[in-house]
Amino acid sequence: MAILCAENPSLHDTLTNYNVDLLWHPSLSTATPRELEATIERICAGEQELTVLCVEGAIALGPDGTGMFDSMFGEAKMDIIKRLADRAQFVIAMGTCAAFGGVSAAGCNPTDSVGLQFRQSDPGGLLDPSWRSAGGLPVINVAGCPAHPSSMVRTLVAALLGAPVELDPLNRPAEFFSTTVHRGCTRNEYHEYNVEEKAFGGDGCLFINLGCQGPTTQAICNTELWNGESSKTRAGAPCIGCTAPNFPKPQNLLVTLKVGPIPLSLPLGVKRAKYMAYKGLARDAAPERLQPTAPQAKTAATATAEEVDNG
Amino acid sequence: MGEIIELGLNRVEGDLEVKIEVQDGRIEDAWCIGTMYRGFEQILQGRDATDGAVLTPRICGICGTAHQYVAVTAIEHALQCEVAPNAIRARNLCLMAEETQSDSRHTFLMFTVDFCNPRYADHPLRAEVEESFAMLSGKAYRGVLEHTKNILKVVAIIGGQWPHANFMVPGGVTSRLTVGNLVRLRTLIDSYQKWYEQDILGCSLERWSENRTFDDVLAWVEASESHRKSPMGLFIRFARSIGLETLGLGEGNLLSYGSGYDPERWRPPYGAPQTMRAPGFFDAETKQLEAFDHQHIEEHIKHSWFVGYAGGRHPIDGMTVPEYDPDGSRYTWAKAPRYKGKVCESGPLAELFTAGDPLATSLFTMQGSNAFSRQFVRLHRPTLTLMAMRKTLDELFAHAAEPYIVPVDDVVEGTGVGLGSAARGALAHWVRFKKGKIESYQIITPTGWNASPRGSDDKRGHWEQSLVGTVVKDLENPIELGHIVRSHDACLVCTVHVLDTDKRMRFGL
Repeated sequence: MAILCAENPSLHDTLTNYNVDLLWHPSLSTATPRELEATIERICAGEQELTVLCVEGAIALGPDGTGMFDSMFGEAKMDIIKRLADRAQFVIAMGTCAAFGGVSAAGCNPTDSVGLQFRQSDPGGLLDPSWRSAGGLPVINVAGCPAHPSSMVRTLVAALLGAPVELDPLNRPAEFFSTTVHRGCTRNEYHEYNVEEKAFGGDGCLFINLGCQGPTTQAICNTELWNGESSKTRAGAPCIGCTAPNFPKPQNLLVTLKVGPIPLSLPLGVKRAKYMAYKGLARDAAPERLQPTAPQAKTAATATAEEVDNG
Repeated sequence: MGEIIELGLNRVEGDLEVKIEVQDGRIEDAWCIGTMYRGFEQILQGRDATDGAVLTPRICGICGTAHQYVAVTAIEHALQCEVAPNAIRARNLCLMAEETQSDSRHTFLMFTVDFCNPRYADHPLRAEVEESFAMLSGKAYRGVLEHTKNILKVVAIIGGQWPHANFMVPGGVTSRLTVGNLVRLRTLIDSYQKWYEQDILGCSLERWSENRTFDDVLAWVEASESHRKSPMGLFIRFARSIGLETLGLGEGNLLSYGSGYDPERWRPPYGAPQTMRAPGFFDAETKQLEAFDHQHIEEHIKHSWFVGYAGGRHPIDGMTVPEYDPDGSRYTWAKAPRYKGKVCESGPLAELFTAGDPLATSLFTMQGSNAFSRQFVRLHRPTLTLMAMRKTLDELFAHAAEPYIVPVDDVVEGTGVGLGSAARGALAHWVRFKKGKIESYQIITPTGWNASPRGSDDKRGHWEQSLVGTVVKDLENPIELGHIVRSHDACLVCTVHVLDTDKRMRFGL
């Protein structure tokens, strides 16, 4: 549904301006599932061209490798996707689940879910690492939970036009995944001077205490705003790293893991010793006007909620 | 015994197959089959307490705000903490924006495109219907694509993004709305309202609100050309001409948990939901509208691929041990929720009926629940929601200096329930915390109610019952079935169940 919010091009313009014959979309198509079944057969028989195959959602391999946790017409969807992928000019994984497994593959991964060509950060998912589509590319991973609408439609149009799509080592279109969420964040001035919030609701930076993964996450959220308006960090919520192959991290998503006062995961490419020295100096240089503003808890982690009923 | 046919359906969110038994074109029996299992609740087990409110919005690309709202409400219930009234207002605004875009998107992107089906090729209104409702080219279709995008900016301004924001935290929201933000929000609501009035209703909200009964609505249609020709007018004329009101009658039991907590009245100890739209249960047998109490909810598993107990269990005591058994009498991944042992329907009709909306009450009283009344209410509801959004915004202006969050302690132990409404109906999360971690997480979604299989008493679930008796003219193009199921805004994406650790399902393949 995020793609319905796309701008420049909108989904409507993407479909109409580029003469896209939308063979099937589960939420939009008027064709019946029986017609879909016939379309799939025509594609697999080579009678119907398939320019772009977009896949949303993780690929369930379970139970016991049958893929039957997710079936269609009595057949495992993983098998249908495999057959279609071999016929498509380009295959795009829309979202972190389809790319890497995502939330579906988190924790104990009850459905044995993987991405199309990655199992979290390891190459090889439903498809072998060496697999290439007819257009010569691996699966294009438009990661994100959800994928950013701009990165979805623009990658899709690039594929339709046959324009070169440069990929990063995780096969994400480099253009949309080479900068961090930190870039363009409105809390940067606070981060610069090490003015960090300890609770939600303030104007300061969320990186040191409140789980923000903006400095370590590659996405366009703060340079290409969501819904043309904002981003998580602009609204005071931490970036939860949803474009990364190991999303969601197993630890608390609203708390930063630290070694001493410094986060375990530092901004991409930064050296720990130098970062610590810089942070110490930065705090001392902070101007008066930049202070944490969130209301503070009276006590931390001491209360025990009683069992109550709602009757 | 008639012919047994399995059908998939498009334009429902997620994975649903319906098995029907047909004799001489009439559906004699029906089974709803959820074909996908995601194990979402199991993924949450052992995670930190607040992660439920971050990850559950990702269950669904449409109702993420609703999932986050009830998830954080469950934590606050367990904590027995205060919530800043402004935060409740901000959450409500986001919930209403999500609901109102969903009402329009569902109606015009998923429901009325069926009016352009080949079945109706010779219908006298065909040209009008094509012009307004056709996929991608219809005027209403295009307007919905454009304007629903804009109203969702409300969620982005408050919460950072739509879908899948995570700005609701125990005690409040992470953002604060400046007066500048509030003005921006007002312009978005103004412009959405203007579009809805001009391009969907063909009249002002004030004029529409004069329709207190369904007879008023019928008179309204004929009162002016702009009413008749509007998508609302055309929907009513076309839907009635094909007898939509005769399709998909269910049991008639309606259930709503209420929608949008009241910022002035929702306080610890958090007893019965204090909501802007009141909760309730309408019992079709006694014709009584009763107060709602979630303790009357039980889930049954006799016909689902789960084992472990007989009869029903309240979700907080529920267990989910999967056992796939394609040859037996069980047939779905969905459990069977019941209220006081009864099959219930959930959705906008139930929500507005239990809240006492005069028009929904009139329609339900006159015609009961059917494919027409459900979908009509989905077009009517935005007129109420837009006014409620405006009122909420006025309150935020009036309370602009007050906090949007109050500090709370960490969750350690406790049990909580978050009750509420997604656009498509009653949504609740039940959660148990131990040592700061999620020990058990149970979700019942609106589609969980509507797409329920048979329960312990072998009585059909709501859709199953709604389908029985329907005459399908063409089994290759069972459009009647589509109307019935889509009138519930089906969402199987969110029919999620726990798979207990270390118990793997065995498929007989």
